[in-house]
Amino acid sequence: MNAATSLMVTFLREAWVALAGAFIAFALLAGIAQILRVSSGSVLGANLWVWESISALASIIVLGLFAFLGIPQIVHALQSSLPGAGGCGPISELGTLASGLIGGLAALRMLKAAFTSMFSASIGGSSTFAKALIECGEAIFGMVLASAAIPLAAFFLGTC
Amino acid sequence: MFDPIMEQILAIARDAWAFMAGLLIVVALLGGLYYVLQGTAGAAFGASRMTSMAIIGVVGLVIIVLFAFLFLPQIGELLHKFQPKAPF
Repeated sequence: MNAATSLMVTFLREAWVALAGAFIAFALLAGIAQILRVSSGSVLGANLWVWESISALASIIVLGLFAFLGIPQIVHALQSSLPGAGGCGPISELGTLASGLIGGLAALRMLKAAFTSMFSASIGGSSTFAKALIECGEAIFGMVLASAAIPLAAFFLGTC
Repeated sequence: MFDPIMEQILAIARDAWAFMAGLLIVVALLGGLYYVLQGTAGAAFGASRMTSMAIIGVVGLVIIVLFAFLFLPQIGELLHKFQPKAPF
């Protein structure tokens, strides 16, 4: 069970590193796309375009900071609230596996939401910061539910 | 595990960056030319407001391009520095 846990967590860690690298690349692309829009808007005299692009640029920076500073802190906080092992024997091992995987999956889901939002901004769409926040909220809610489910499962399936 | 895919994505992103930087230079040059034309036309028939608006436009355009080429790489460095390890 330990080997399976470490294999899956390693897979999720590598996915996190890859997604974070792609996030930086697309953040820069989104930034230059919005600057291009600002310059063309200012040349054409389209004030609304300019203001939209400036606010999109600000939201890109905020989204980047949220993804790299906020999400790890949220995951740390939630993982510390997840009970590791609620019993003994296979239940204990399953609890440890589940808490590790739930944390990893929730972290990846939050980073994926931020990445999708950034990707949308990089191709010239609106930066859907609200959608990213909603998806992060769903992931947090899932982790909270899981933190209640693991002790319950341990209680019903047997504790020592 | 994800390195080959990442290399492909980063190669596409680099190409897109070069394309957009080139496009930005083209747009800025065209905009600059337009403002120069506006400024000279204004100066020729004595429209001082038109000329001053054209000068302000050129200055604004230069600031935007400098912002793109100096500020964005710094933002990239900043984000790269902040890139967290996996928090699990």
